[in-house]
Amino acid sequence: MEWIAAITTGGMAGFGLWMLLDRNLKRVVLGVAVLGNAINLGVLTAGRFGAQQAAFVSAGSGADDLANPLPQALVLTAIVIGFSLFIFALALLKRTRELHGDHSTDLISSMTEQPAPDWHAGEHGAAPEREHKETRP
Amino acid sequence: MAAGVATAISGPHDSKQEMRVFYLLSVIALTGVLAPWVTRTLPQRAGWVLMLAPLSVFIWFVAQIPAIGEGAVLSTSVSWVPALGIELALRLDGLSLLFGLLISGIGSLIVLYAGAYLHGHHHLGRFHAYLLLFMLAMLGLVLADDFIAMFVFWELTSITSFLLITFNHQKGESRRAALQALLITGGGGLALLAGLILLGGVSDTWRFSELQAHLVEGHVLLPAIIGLVLLGCFTKSAQIPFHLWLPNAMNAPTPVSAYLHSATMVKAGIYLLARLNPVLGGSVGWGTLLITFGAATAVLGAFLAFRQTDLKRLLAYTTVTVLGQLTMLIGTNTSYGLQAFVLYLVAHSLYKGALFMAVGAIDHATGTREIARLGGLIKLMPLTGAAVALAAFSNAGLPPFFGFIAKEFKYTGLIEMGTIGWAVTLVMILTNALLFAAACLVFISTFLGRRGDYPKTPHEVSLAMWIGPMCLAIGGFLLGAWNAWPETWLVNTAVQAVASGPVDVRLYLWGGLTPAVLASLLTIGLGIAFYCVRDRLRALLNRINSAWNISGDLLWDRLLKRVFLFAGLLAARFQHGSLRQHLVLLSLTIGAVLLFSLWPATQTIADAQFSPPTLLGVIGCLIALAGAAAAAFLPGRLTLVGALSACGLGLALFFVSVNAPDVAMTQLMVETLSVIFLALVFRRMPSIPASGARAPWKRRLHAGAAILFGASVTGALLFAVSQPLPGNLADWYLANSLEGGHGANVVNVILVDFRAFDTLGEILVVALSALAAATLLAGSPRRAAQSGEPEFASVLLRQGLRPLALLMLGIAVLVLWRGHNLPGGGFIGGLVAACAMTVLMLTFGSANQSRLAAFKPTYLIGIGLACAALAGILALLAGQPFLTGLWAFPGGLPLGTPLLFDVGVFLTVFGSAMHMLTQLTGARR
Repeated sequence: MEWIAAITTGGMAGFGLWMLLDRNLKRVVLGVAVLGNAINLGVLTAGRFGAQQAAFVSAGSGADDLANPLPQALVLTAIVIGFSLFIFALALLKRTRELHGDHSTDLISSMTEQPAPDWHAGEHGAAPEREHKETRP
Repeated sequence: MAAGVATAISGPHDSKQEMRVFYLLSVIALTGVLAPWVTRTLPQRAGWVLMLAPLSVFIWFVAQIPAIGEGAVLSTSVSWVPALGIELALRLDGLSLLFGLLISGIGSLIVLYAGAYLHGHHHLGRFHAYLLLFMLAMLGLVLADDFIAMFVFWELTSITSFLLITFNHQKGESRRAALQALLITGGGGLALLAGLILLGGVSDTWRFSELQAHLVEGHVLLPAIIGLVLLGCFTKSAQIPFHLWLPNAMNAPTPVSAYLHSATMVKAGIYLLARLNPVLGGSVGWGTLLITFGAATAVLGAFLAFRQTDLKRLLAYTTVTVLGQLTMLIGTNTSYGLQAFVLYLVAHSLYKGALFMAVGAIDHATGTREIARLGGLIKLMPLTGAAVALAAFSNAGLPPFFGFIAKEFKYTGLIEMGTIGWAVTLVMILTNALLFAAACLVFISTFLGRRGDYPKTPHEVSLAMWIGPMCLAIGGFLLGAWNAWPETWLVNTAVQAVASGPVDVRLYLWGGLTPAVLASLLTIGLGIAFYCVRDRLRALLNRINSAWNISGDLLWDRLLKRVFLFAGLLAARFQHGSLRQHLVLLSLTIGAVLLFSLWPATQTIADAQFSPPTLLGVIGCLIALAGAAAAAFLPGRLTLVGALSACGLGLALFFVSVNAPDVAMTQLMVETLSVIFLALVFRRMPSIPASGARAPWKRRLHAGAAILFGASVTGALLFAVSQPLPGNLADWYLANSLEGGHGANVVNVILVDFRAFDTLGEILVVALSALAAATLLAGSPRRAAQSGEPEFASVLLRQGLRPLALLMLGIAVLVLWRGHNLPGGGFIGGLVAACAMTVLMLTFGSANQSRLAAFKPTYLIGIGLACAALAGILALLAGQPFLTGLWAFPGGLPLGTPLLFDVGVFLTVFGSAMHMLTQLTGARR
């Protein structure tokens, strides 16, 4: 089972990276989610599989052949945090589009950066004029 | 260090006395910290009050003179970095005492002077603080016995010097000068550090006092040590070609020039040369280098000084000359030479400090420092004039001033050396003659002759401003006239510390008609001649300069520009601002490194025994992979939303197959919510084209990076699981969950009890990111949506969904409650509740939803976090560590703080999801 999970993890990580490298920001945001999924699967795989029962203990029975609970606990919170991160990325995407319109991934930092405050025109040549248009569909 | 007679005879009886060396530093540091406050409270008297600290230090040093003069040494240390054997070791011997007296004595006068000079300046408090901080650093430098401690103080002087030079930071010139000084002295400092580390390694000690010459002499690393240490000292003490920064540093306010850049800091390099002379002085290279560089610096400084028309810059260049001469004197390593070194050091600090302060006073009173505009000031500023006269006489080396004795010893010391000595003596005579002429320039042109043309009406300066130069000038006179006193108490012990063997010190004003006296007469004659032909000389020098057209400053600017260009070129390769190129580079590196290091483990992985695959697991994996692939390549929007959710749902299926029901449920809920958010955001966006860069080579590069990355992740994971699972953490959790945590669901018990602190941090992150994302999602301005989404506008749907939502809310609470023993818990419950409310919100609009639920999501987040924190604080109140589970069993029902904590998790997650959704659906579009 572990090797299947490992290959799946690697495949998803590869797809995720491919998406992060896309020029379309929307796919980049989706890539964050796919890469997050891959990592969650990886962490759980590192805890080993093959147990016959889930990690529930009862008073009578001895703890025998139960799944490793620690990676499960870690992954459980990781999923929720990954969700917050994904929504945050989505929110950034939405806001960026509202303020600056659609742009390629590579242009996004140059679009949103303000020139340095002590950048004087004349000293270093003309400062690039940057306008922040409210472009809304 | 072979300190001659000055071997430590300090007994235990004066250990209290020794600790006082620390108190000295703390007194200065404390005063420095309080200086801005004192200056604000007492703007009129700040200088007088703050001066008390350095003055008391000075008095303490004076009190130590008798003991140290007899050869005692005070030393003390506290452990600093014990692991590396670094101690804050302080040691007071003759040389340190001499420097300590100069630093604290001149420092007191400077603090007083600065209070008057910068009177009313809005940053005077800051200035005082910098000045005292510098004093602390300088005292530490000369007192430190440990290499590293000394180096730290050394660098601290560079930094405070930077702050002081750039005090008038609104001036571009000041900023440039400060940066230049910092780069040159800081660069030299790095070399010094390397040299000291080598020296420490070679001699196997980190103490100056424990250095032994015979261990270092002839060692293969000695040239490197000498080179590096000299680089540090030469940059600090402005030896050629590093002298550039010193004249430029005159952009600082005059108290700084007088204190740092003539009397103390620039002498730090000289101090270290003197300190290391007994150890390194044995080698021939040391002496040769010192004499060569010193002589070149002295001559260049003297000629450049003569060219200046600004009094302050003139003095700065004469300081360069004197620093060169001092270096040269250490290089002679003869007994007269070293005595001359100590004498000249004191004499120069006294008269140069006085002259600088007087020039500052002149500038203050007349508004100019241009020699051509000054003249006839003696009637207007008699006290300053008297001080300048005394100092200039000492500077010119006229008897009976201290400067005269120093000069005589210089000549004797050099003549002692034989042929090279005569050559150097000629250099000395020339430079001294120029210094003599410069001294004349400072006094005669400024104070005698006809009245100059002043921008301001000149007036005598206040007491605080003339007392400093006067004290120093009179000090120079007294030390020269009554030379028995410094001989016995000061010069003797200091020379012992500098020399490698015992030296007999006897000072005299008149030693018969020796060659030295003849040299002196020659100097004075030449000096008078230079003064008489000063204008012609200056014109000549100007012509030479324009012919060569070489300016160190220009070269420096070009060099700096090249360095910046190079740095820019290098940085542009890596800091191109392209997210994708960064990612490609990073992932290629990670992939290559991982795969390369995994290569030897191939066999281990092939042989590893894995658990058997299950059908459900394989199906889950296939769905997840297919979803990810679809999300990676396909165009469209809805397709991508569907693909992403397929990826997540496949994963959920897989989680079920590996006996992780809690994880599967969480994944399921998160996937549901993600799809809703994604759909809500994407529906306002244009369609997404198929993936892949436009250029084929780029596409291939990206594909290669992705494949390499994926393969390396797979490989690393396979290697990890092919090893046996280390430790038995899982067993411990399984064994203690029921007894310690009163819960059968081990995953949940870990979350809310065993590792609750982690969870607390995690829900905090969730809450914060929700708050941040919500503001971004809302856009501006926002309002609550009065109606639901038009797609849900069906009576049947609305009526059907309401009971469903209520049912889901009930289930959420149930999941929360049973979570401790059965699959479920706060995270899952919170997500289920969020799904329920989402249904309501989409159907009826967020405004109606708010009325329906009668709560604000942000309150929920707050209450949730408060519940979780309260669960921890209750344990604190019960005297247990934070977040320890407390349990009670009313009627057999197990109730404990972990359940409260779980409620907190529930509310936080619920509130966070709700908050984001409310903002998103409420946003005006």
